[in-house]
Formats: sequence, structure tokens, C-alpha cells
Amino acid sequence: MNQDNSLHGEFSSISPAEFFYRNRQMAGFGNPSQAVYSTVRELVENSIDACEEARRQPDVRVSIDEERSGIVRITVSDNGTGVPYGEVPNAFARVLYGDKFTARQRRGTFGLGVTMAVLYGQITTDSPVIVMTQTSHTTGRSYQLLIDIENNQPVILSDESHEREGLGTEVTIRLKGDLNRSRERIYDYLQLTTVASPHANMELVINGSSIMRMGWWHQMLPAPTIASKPHPHGADLELLRRLVADTGERSIHDFLVESFQRMGTRTATRFLKFLAINPRQVVNTLSRGDLSRLSSALRSFDGLGRPDSKCLSPIGKDAFLASVESVFAPSSLTYGSREPTEWNGNAFIVEGVAAIGTGARAAEVPTLYRFANRVPLLYDSGDDVLTRMLKKVNWTKYGVASTTPVSIFLHLCSTRIPFKAAGKQSIASLPEIEHETLSLLRELGRSLKKTLKGNERSVRDAQKKREFDKAMKQVAQFSAELAECDAIPSTTELVHRLFEVGHHV
Amino acid sequence: MSDQSKSLSALKDLGTAIVQSIDNEEFPTLEFPGRGTGNLVYDEESKQFVLGNARVIRDSSNLRHIKSFTQLVWIASYAKQLLQAGRTSSLRDLYYSSEAFGVEFTDQAESDRTVTDLECLMGLAREAFGVFPEERSSIYGQVTMRYTVAGYEGRDVNLTLSPDGLPIGPALVTADPVESKADLILAVESGGIFSRLIETRAWERFKAVLIHLGGQPPRATRRLIRRLHDDLDLPVYVFTDGDPWGMHIARVISTGSANAAHIRGLTTPDAEWIGVTADDISKYSLPSEPLNNADLKRLDELSRDVRYADSIWQDHIRDFRQLQRKAEQQAFSRHGMDYVVDKYLPEKIH
Repeated sequence: MNQDNSLHGEFSSISPAEFFYRNRQMAGFGNPSQAVYSTVRELVENSIDACEEARRQPDVRVSIDEERSGIVRITVSDNGTGVPYGEVPNAFARVLYGDKFTARQRRGTFGLGVTMAVLYGQITTDSPVIVMTQTSHTTGRSYQLLIDIENNQPVILSDESHEREGLGTEVTIRLKGDLNRSRERIYDYLQLTTVASPHANMELVINGSSIMRMGWWHQMLPAPTIASKPHPHGADLELLRRLVADTGERSIHDFLVESFQRMGTRTATRFLKFLAINPRQVVNTLSRGDLSRLSSALRSFDGLGRPDSKCLSPIGKDAFLASVESVFAPSSLTYGSREPTEWNGNAFIVEGVAAIGTGARAAEVPTLYRFANRVPLLYDSGDDVLTRMLKKVNWTKYGVASTTPVSIFLHLCSTRIPFKAAGKQSIASLPEIEHETLSLLRELGRSLKKTLKGNERSVRDAQKKREFDKAMKQVAQFSAELAECDAIPSTTELVHRLFEVGHHV
Repeated sequence: MSDQSKSLSALKDLGTAIVQSIDNEEFPTLEFPGRGTGNLVYDEESKQFVLGNARVIRDSSNLRHIKSFTQLVWIASYAKQLLQAGRTSSLRDLYYSSEAFGVEFTDQAESDRTVTDLECLMGLAREAFGVFPEERSSIYGQVTMRYTVAGYEGRDVNLTLSPDGLPIGPALVTADPVESKADLILAVESGGIFSRLIETRAWERFKAVLIHLGGQPPRATRRLIRRLHDDLDLPVYVFTDGDPWGMHIARVISTGSANAAHIRGLTTPDAEWIGVTADDISKYSLPSEPLNNADLKRLDELSRDVRYADSIWQDHIRDFRQLQRKAEQQAFSRHGMDYVVDKYLPEKIH
């Protein structure tokens, strides 16, 4: 909770540079190869978020150039609606903390990541971030920005008009980094990004040559997420205090109904009666003790039903199947998902695809691809909750043998992903997430079993047909010899008819 | 039409029928009499057991039939090659040849069974296709045979030519008896007794043609016994071990086997089993062993077999069941090396 406090309040008194240095390992900038990967990742995620907010099919291009050994220049450009010019300096050169609390799914969390990358570039190469952006009906603008670390203020080195081909934003950061060692991860990351965001297109250009361009597997843009009111189970004391401060002079009953989801008039009345609190009491007259009591009662209140899920953006059956199919070309695949539920008041959904065939390594435990809020997770898989649950399942029970190449793609989306560290690579184990993940994996296992059985049968059927075909050809050959005719009669049509689909033999 | 060209044209007809049905886009089927013991019927006219009306159908559109269908057609084409080339092949040889044609048999028993299927289908014995078993029985006695096989036509052989006896193969079976000093045929189960009878010149004393059966005799041996019985008018005596298996060897010689019930000319209905009977075991105080489970089970089977319906045979079975013991032919040596020749046989052969 201390960290939350600092984020929301006293944090501005600490130098962001100090914060950054203290946390660079945690934030994914611990070494030169991770720094390249993290910079790409933060910029790409921002770009896709921006395009989605603008309701446009994201088309994102990542260029990486090695200037000289150890220095790389990373440019990420998108086709979003551009950043309003006045906002550019603050958006890119000021560590934004205390971003208004919104309970909805986004790739980036507080806009902190990009600023980290800017800071890292500035510190390691003493170079400004270059932001070129163009909003509708204007000529574009180009900025060169540095961060005044002491005061957490943007320093505008240049600000000039700049023609750009269409709307969008392009951000360039120079940093100390190891391209060779991060290259493969970046490729995988972009490829898997198209799996989790099938409506997006990704291009990777390294030192001027195009390495890949893929995506747009599914044309439908995901429905925009709508921020939910907080869930009662997430009503910690700090949140409650802030909500009360925002509300002012209202009765506690009305406060509950207006501030929280799943709190209708009836539920609020029942809840307050149970707590023996007068529903007409004005909320900002509650004592600290009352608030504390209210908080713990809200957090343990049962019978609220499923949380609001309009704040979530699962990939969805059609899109998820289409993207896995396009990228991995498996021989068969199946989708499963769980109903929305919550951990500490944060709504979440787990969904997944199980695929059999090319692209996967054959093993007794399927190959796992992890996604959190449509972001592929490539590092620290070992102690991740999804990995742990995958290993907990007895896959042989579902017909997965050491010779079966099975891949499982798991997507956890939530208003808040409980990452173990700010590097956002490994999801912490929470009982609610464990339970939903395990249930989903078993559901996928059951469909896998059916498919594998079916596959086995069709392999057997094909084998039967081959053997039968061979036997019939021999019968024709031997009997032609007996009959002393030169032409061996053809049995192809006969055999084909016998094995026609639907004909059971 | 010679036997050979009869066989060839039957094989050609078989091939034509199959080719025609494939040309008509129909799956060929084959039909022949079933060979289960339940389908054995006694035929008064030929005095042997023959196959009844039960039929077996091999349908090439059936996945469970296609393998045996292919095997059957292959054996037919292999038989045709043998006939055209004037060659013979043993059952074993045929089994090992199959691989070269891409036809698979699980074991020789399966290929032997399929050869029998072909016999039933064509109504001809495998010998007509040049296929013989590998194992050979032997014969010894004062009879002269004249060969008819290619390369030996008109040549005579006296069956006392070798002190070991002569093997009964395709050549001897098709030879004709031209001269005989024999009064009877004595077929014995074991090689030991066969040799003893030659060494002690028992063949001279009994004027016997000796035949070594060696267990259930091959068809060629049964065919030869029948021919010598018919052509020379010789009575046939069968001398076997004193157990259900020995008894059944004698019974097959007179009534035929289920496996060859589709073939004529193999049985000798008046062949007589002289023993060793259960009665002999006690009468001659022969060293004996108790019947084991397999023996008892075999007795049960035989007691229900149509070939044992006669009261004489039911009595033999009952005697074994009561005595609960069995004895080998060699058991007579308890009473001295030549006891069987000097004492036992004269009492049995009249």
C-alpha cells in the first residue's frame, strides 16, 4: 500500500530519475538487450492503445537502426489520430503519475513505461526523444524533448511544423542497447502481438531492411472498453477516502449506489442495514473508524454477482482462432473462455486457444504462450501463475502424449493485472486467477481430447484406406494374371466409393 | 482333358469372374463350403464324411475379408504359375514365397488354411495345383510301383529298395502298383516300431506293406493307403499309441479329417484300428501314465464328434475314461524286444 500512497500523493517530491534508477531492473531496463526490447514494447503498446482509442485499425511500424556498436535508434510510428500538439511535451517528457484512476483494461498502465524509455535514452546517450505527430486537418509537428529530471518538467529543444504522410505519431528514441541479443525476442513479441491484437498490423524494419510485416488477421476492431465504477471488493481505505472526497455532501446510501458497480438501491439498503449504519448519514461526516469498518465490510460483501465486464476487452473466439490459425497454421484448434469474475474488485476474464500441429514442440506438457491485456509475455515464465497452472494439469489424461505437438495460448485480461514487477512479465498467483485458469485449461483439455481422438481415428481411417487400396490393386493384378488378360482392371473408383465420407465400414 | 489342364481352366475361370466384377464396378465375392466340424455330414455313397451345406462368403468390400481375399487370389495365381511351369511346391515353400509378391501371412498355419480355402473354392485337392506338405511318411513292403511323373514314366521301384523305407511323395502317390506279394497293410504311428518291424522282417512274416504315419499322416499317405487298398485289395490295420490322439489317427484314416472333407479319395472306410486300446493296456499290463487334462478334454470333444457316433467308438472312449491311463506303442518292450512282433500283432491281425 505504501507504493500506492506514493503514486497518488507524495511521490512528486522524489526525483523521477532517482525512482527510475532505483527501479530500472524492475521496470525492464536492467541490461542493454532488455532495454531495447522494453523500449519497443512500451512504444508499440502506446501506439496500439492510441489507434484503438481513435477506432482505427492499428498499423504499426518498428524501425531499429544500429548507429554504432552499443547505440541503437528505435522509431515506432502508427496511424493513430496523433497527439494534440499542446499535450506532446507532457505526454512524452514528464513522468505521469497519479493518472486518474480508471477501472478499465489497457495495455500500458499509467503511461509510465514510455517515459521510462525516454529517460533511459536521455541518460545513456544524452539524446532527446523526437516526436512527430499529426492530428486531423493540420500539418504535423515535430518536437525534440528532454526531461528536466530535477523538476520533472519537459524541456522543449525544438518545436516546428513537419509534414507527415497522414495522421499518426512517430516516436524516436536513441539509447544504449544490444540489438543482436534482443532481435529474436522483438520478432517474437511483434508476431505474438498480432495474435493478441488480430486487428493490428505489425512491421519490423532492422537497419533499413524489412524483416516482417504481418497482422490484420481479423478485421473487427474490439469494442471500446468503458471504464467501470469501482467494485465493492476493491474498496480499500485509500480508494474509499478519495471517492468520499469527490462526492462531498451525499447520503451514504446514494454514495454507495453512485460510486460502486453492482450496488443498486436494494443492495445498498440491505448492506447498510446489516452494518447498522444510518443510510441517510452524510458520507463526509463518517469517522475514520467508520470508513475503515465500511471498507472491510464492502471488501468481504458476498452475493454481488458477476462484475461489470464492459471494462474488459477479451480477444474473443473468432478473432483469437483466426490469429492463431494465421500465425501458427495448426492442424486443428479450439477456443475456450471463462465468465468474468474479479480479484480484489478487479474484473478479469481468462480465455484461451489450444492448437495441435505445426509450430509446437511435441511434449507431455503443451507449449504455453502467455498474454496479459493483449500483451505477449516473453520473460520470467517460470513462476508465472499461468505457467504454474499449466503444469498442474495432468495432460496425459487428455490424450496429450510426448509425441503430440500442442500449444496453449492463454489470455488474462483485467482492469488490473497483478504483475510481480513493473517489468510486466510475470503474473502473481492469486487464488481467483488460479481457479479460473485451471478450469479453463481443463475445459481446453477436454476439447483437445476429443480432437486428438478424432485425429487418431482419421489417421487410422486413412491407413485403412491405403491398405485396402493396396489389397484391391493386388486382387486386380493376380486375377488379371489368372484370367490371362493384359490390362489390369482399375479398382480406384471402387475403393474411393467405399471410403466416401459418411460411409461407415 | 488332363488333370492339369482341368486345374488350369478352373483357375482361369476364377480370375475371369473377378476381373469381370471389377470391370462392372462391383466388389468381387467368393463363396465356398464351410469347414467347421459342425458342417461334417456322413456320405453313404463315398463312405466318408463330407462337407454339408454351410457356405462361407469372402466379400472383398468387407474390410475384415479383404486380407484373406487377397491371399486366396494370390495362392490361385501362384498355383497357376506352378502348373504352367510343371513344378511343385511345399506348403512351407509357398508360405515363404508370399513375401516376394507383397502378400502377408501371419504364419504358415494361415497360409495352409488359405490353401485349403482354395481347394474348397475350386473343388480340387491342392496336389492338383502342385502343392504338397513338407513332411513325408515312409513305406516299406513287397510291392512294385511304376512311376507316372515326368522324367520317370515307366520306371519301376520295389518298395523294399531301401532298408529305411521309401518316402511317400508326389511321385509315389501317382505311381501305379504293378506287382505285389503283400497280404495286408500295416500302418504304424511311431518310427521306432516301423524300424523294428523292418529289422525283424515282420513284413515277411505278416506279408505286410508297412507304413510309417508319424502322427496324423499327410494326405499323400492317406491317398496311397486308399489306392493300395483298392487296387491290390489289401486290408488295412492301424497301430497307434494308446491314447485319444492315437485313436484319432486311425479314425481319420477311415473317415477323413474335417480339413479335407471336401476332398475325395483320401479315406479307407474299412481300415481297422488294432490298438493300443484301453483294454490292451490292462490286458498286456503295459506300463502306462495317467491321462492329463488335455487328453481328457480331447476325449470329451471326440465323444461329441459325428465320426465317433458308433457304439464301438463310444465304447473305446468310455474305456479310456474309466481306465484314466494311456500307453505308448513302445510300452510292449517291457515284455522283451520282439514281444510286439511275436505276440501282440499275431493276436490282432487275423
